[in-house]
Amino acid sequence: MSYIEELITALGKEKVLLDPSERFVYGADWSPRTPDEFEPPDVVVLPRTTRDIQRVIKIAYEHEIPVTAGGGLTGMLGGAVPIFGGIYIDTTTMNSVVEVDQRNQTIRVQAGATLQEVNDAVQPYDLWLPHQPESKWVCTVGSAIACDNDSTFGVRYGKILNCLLSAEIVTGTGEVLELGHRKAHFTSSGYKLKDLLAGSEGTLGIITEATLKLEPIPASRRVDMLVFPRMGSAVDYLNRLLKAGLCIEAAHINCKRRLRFYTHSYKQKFGKDPEIPAWAEALLAIAFAGDVEAVDMQRNYALKLAKEYEAQLVEEREIVEAWWASKYTLDFEPFKQKWPDSQKQKKFGAADPGVPVGRLEEFYHKFVQVAEKHNLEIIGMNAYLEHPNSIGFSLSCAVFVDYRNADEVRRFREFHDELSKLAVAFEGTMSTFMSDTNQKAPYLEVEHGPSLKYMRDVKRLFDPKGILNPGKKFPREVKQDERAQ
Amino acid sequence: MSELNEFKDELETCFGTSCGFCERGCPVYQTLKVKTLCMRGRNRTMLGLLQGKFEITPAVVQAAFECTLCGNCDRWCSLKNTEHTRAFREYLLKHGVEPMKEHSSLVASLKNYGNPWFQPRSARNRWTKGLNIPKAAPGKQEVLFFAGCTSAVTKPLNRSLVATAKLLQRADVKFATMGQDEPCCGSTLLRVGQTDAFEELSADNMKKFESLGIKKIITACPGCYVTLKKSFEKSGSKIEATHAAQEIAKLIEDGKLNIRKSTERMTYHDPCHLGRLGGVFEEPREIVRAAATLVEMPNNRYESRCCGAGAGLQSAFPKLSRELASKRVAEAKATGATTLVTSCPFCETQLRTVPGIKVLDLLELLLDATEIEKNNTTKNAS
Repeated sequence: MSYIEELITALGKEKVLLDPSERFVYGADWSPRTPDEFEPPDVVVLPRTTRDIQRVIKIAYEHEIPVTAGGGLTGMLGGAVPIFGGIYIDTTTMNSVVEVDQRNQTIRVQAGATLQEVNDAVQPYDLWLPHQPESKWVCTVGSAIACDNDSTFGVRYGKILNCLLSAEIVTGTGEVLELGHRKAHFTSSGYKLKDLLAGSEGTLGIITEATLKLEPIPASRRVDMLVFPRMGSAVDYLNRLLKAGLCIEAAHINCKRRLRFYTHSYKQKFGKDPEIPAWAEALLAIAFAGDVEAVDMQRNYALKLAKEYEAQLVEEREIVEAWWASKYTLDFEPFKQKWPDSQKQKKFGAADPGVPVGRLEEFYHKFVQVAEKHNLEIIGMNAYLEHPNSIGFSLSCAVFVDYRNADEVRRFREFHDELSKLAVAFEGTMSTFMSDTNQKAPYLEVEHGPSLKYMRDVKRLFDPKGILNPGKKFPREVKQDERAQ
Repeated sequence: MSELNEFKDELETCFGTSCGFCERGCPVYQTLKVKTLCMRGRNRTMLGLLQGKFEITPAVVQAAFECTLCGNCDRWCSLKNTEHTRAFREYLLKHGVEPMKEHSSLVASLKNYGNPWFQPRSARNRWTKGLNIPKAAPGKQEVLFFAGCTSAVTKPLNRSLVATAKLLQRADVKFATMGQDEPCCGSTLLRVGQTDAFEELSADNMKKFESLGIKKIITACPGCYVTLKKSFEKSGSKIEATHAAQEIAKLIEDGKLNIRKSTERMTYHDPCHLGRLGGVFEEPREIVRAAATLVEMPNNRYESRCCGAGAGLQSAFPKLSRELASKRVAEAKATGATTLVTSCPFCETQLRTVPGIKVLDLLELLLDATEIEKNNTTKNAS
């Protein structure tokens, strides 16, 4: 029996998609690629339970077939695109809420639930999951963990790993494992294997369920924007706020070019780009949340301190609200929306490095140089604070890519690679929210050196035949029978 | 009507964007979770087809037709997604795909009987019995009440037409009907991909209305409302198309109807064609508020969820269609309302198939509130 026949027998034919048109749509994600650059899988399965996924993996293990699991397919670098064909597991069919423990402030969900579905489920309990990327309506819990993507509220709550208490996975042999500490909020026991899942890109196991820590919904929120003459002064200001003991909920530094990308609704309303002072080089968007009195007190104190850093408050609320709509509320005018409107000619493409805080401004200038060298139109840089109550950044260095032009897509990939490697030279990291995928796989040693061997060994422990999302993080290992030929 | 090829740029923009925001509110995707049955996937299917990446298969046909064209995807997008889907259906029919047998029978009925429901032309006129409504004649009336096939030939739905006519009469609005000569607006043809037949019918209709000297058409059917309105706009005709809810709300505002408000909790379901596609949200709510206490469902106005009856889904995919209705009724029941009010014959019929809540036409509700007041009128302040 072929592996596809076995899949149909094991799952039932309604859970197996074989038609070329149905498989085709799973062959691309959000990453810059030409419209004919689809890499469809050979078969798509629509599981409902962990047992379904276990059956799929056991068949794939037996036949040594590549297995790629995906969620919302909004990855920015092809993480869930099945580059070697094989089986694609569409996890979005597994989106049930298993349990909400209101007292413990936790939820257990199947990994295909979107982040918004989680929030819809817990909102009646006055709780929320603060891990909030811009793709939250589509991004699933499993994808958020496997990609380790970014969050608007990272400076207060961290990223998904800060919310993840436990996860169930199916390994590359079909074994079902629970990694983590059940509903306890932390542990000192054992090795923290659960942490390996963050950014694992489905190369160690398919995440099937997760227990996530929730937070109380703040009663109010104030969002402001301040302009600074330099990026460095915005960084110094944020350091000062943290030193002062303020509890910042969101903090994002944009270069002035980047603001334009986030103010679509402003342009819709006024027919022009928002104006900021000519001297301003950086814009800091900052939010405080909680009880009204506490928020007002913190905001007032923050604005008072701003004077010491040559900062100026953006008084035009429409600019701030347009930015916040783009970043968080997604409250776009009906029949209008930033994303398709901004991608008509060229699409958003980014590198996602991290560099030491003191070298942010220097790296920004390098980003501009590298983008210009590759002849790419610059969108700009956004630095998000993504570590709870500390100054660590993730950087989004974005350019427009004419995705209908194969040469420009190639130049974008070269730009991405050059900037990634440069970040390591800056004593930083190549990735802070997009993971490695097949894009960084050929040069991952630049960042990890000899420790890469240990990573490969970890991978082999979970996935001895290398069937899970092959080609991501590491070049695909040749199968034994292929080697013999 | 634009052909699929003309949307290639938009399909590529969707591919380039890939935000997937259309998935959250898509009633079909949220029920079946198959990516080709929501706009991001469907746009990719169309793109792949145009690129010659695969042939037309049953799954491609399913991707085109298993959609209610409710427009929820358009609410979250600046692309013309429902137009893509309509063009996709047309493309398939022009490339040798046989119309779905359920859709073929609707079209055949339309050709033979002038309505999609196999009812004789004389059935169109039954509802007007005893109402003393004049028949439109050249130069006699400027306002035409356009009943629409579904309400006119379906006996249980006649009540909403009677209610609308009586309310207009009570407010002294002069209007006529076309009786059994009233044509179909062609909405059904358009939704199932029969664009050429629609264009022909639409042009014929235009001539009929103009020869009668009609200035304004009032209809109680959202499908007719949107179809006629768009046809008039496209052809540059000066005839105005309005939905009865708009007219009646104006009459309430002008104090031409006496209404007693009850304290009963009712919720309002926005028909896709009237709300999202027609832009009429507030007038029906004003009517409900005038007669009862309005409580909103979480998904309302632009975010309203389709009842599942639209665009041939009810006839071709009845099981899925019923699942969508069940979801919407569950949402209505969760508000604590006793009654689910709507203003579309398709929504009304569809939502009634799910037990658990009383379903009532908007203008029947209002007529009832005015009738109670016959002998003791108190003008509603709201």
